[in-house]
Amino acid sequence: MDKNILYTGKMKAAELITADWNLLAVFERFNIKLGFGEATVTELCKLHNISTELFLMICNIYSSNSYRPNAEALKKEDIPHIVSYLRTSHKYYIDKSFPQLHNDIHTMMEEYEETSSRVLNKFYDDYDCEIRRHFEYEEESVFPYIENLLVGKVAGNLYNIKKFAHNHTNVEEKLNDLKNIIIKYLPGSYTSDIRMQVLHEIFKIENDLHKHTMVEDKLLIPMVAKLESENER
Amino acid sequence: MKDDKRYKILLIEPSEIVATGISTIIDKSKGFRLVSTIPNLGYYKNSKSSFDIVVINPAVIDYNERFDIRSLFSNENSRTTIVALTYTSYDEDVLRQFDDCIGIYDSAERIRQKLQNAMKHSSENSNELYELSTRERDILIAVAKGSTNKEIADEYNISIYTVISHRRNISRKLGINTISGLTVYAIMNKLIDISSIK
Repeated sequence: MDKNILYTGKMKAAELITADWNLLAVFERFNIKLGFGEATVTELCKLHNISTELFLMICNIYSSNSYRPNAEALKKEDIPHIVSYLRTSHKYYIDKSFPQLHNDIHTMMEEYEETSSRVLNKFYDDYDCEIRRHFEYEEESVFPYIENLLVGKVAGNLYNIKKFAHNHTNVEEKLNDLKNIIIKYLPGSYTSDIRMQVLHEIFKIENDLHKHTMVEDKLLIPMVAKLESENER
Repeated sequence: MKDDKRYKILLIEPSEIVATGISTIIDKSKGFRLVSTIPNLGYYKNSKSSFDIVVINPAVIDYNERFDIRSLFSNENSRTTIVALTYTSYDEDVLRQFDDCIGIYDSAERIRQKLQNAMKHSSENSNELYELSTRERDILIAVAKGSTNKEIADEYNISIYTVISHRRNISRKLGINTISGLTVYAIMNKLIDISSIK
């Protein structure tokens, strides 16, 4: 989905959602409740105490594949909002997306003979574990580090965000494999509803995680790196 | 013969005995026509005709050029089908570039089959792009069983570089990049047994 128009603060908030329904998730993660009538994006952001620039940048990241956000335009004060956005996203994946996908894959595999279902279920479960570990690492190590950095408490020079960037393993690869296996190699003379549903979910999660990573790599990491160099001075 | 639909073959073979033999076999094959026979590449470089298939003995190619055989026969409009004619064994990297490989001990029937396959192969152009070759399947099986690149290289007597290149092609064709993903593929397709995983 690539919308070439970029969103602006003067646009009505409702227009953003009708332009790209994927943004529903973004609104939800910023804790903006629907029913905001004719409010513009700027008005709505003010009401929710979020910077309009940040909100628009994240919306543009979600809606456009060619958009390159400029982290320089954001302020130090935006960092806690990004972290909070990412935490809420993690919670959404862990509480909703992954359990749902887990159940549907296991249900789908009930149709298959034992060996296939055993290996595919295991493949998914391993992926599930891996991605949870990845989120956990961010929640328990990276975000607290950033929060300490913001209040001027830096835990020596043991750690810096570049290291995190390096450690930021590509969790997208396994999901992509899973997708191809289900599309191309899972046998079946007919395509069941559940298989379609599983694929829809995978595509949705894949896109969502990809944008999530963009927010981390293009906004959070450059901003924290800048903060680190300021603190050093 | 104006509407000659037969595929035009160029044979590059230094041995007159072998060249005569191959030429006889091709002449008796439906669908193929041997247009020219030359003993080495020097003659080819002066030739302006176009061919559908080049049958070439890799021995006539300079060692340094053997790893980029396609570029020797590049054709603006279409991809020339290139078939090796071998007396002996060659480096895996060299042979992989050919659409097929005729051995000196192949029967006439087998040679015809190989020419037909090579032609089909490159006209569909899809086999090469999406289907695993026998060697790739073997390597996929080894990877899925948990062998390292080094172990695979030793087992098949090829370089680690070749193993990596095979693995890259396998992943591209299947759309599966992780080892565990390849294992799932191999088990589902009954290439390996679940108990054989290291």
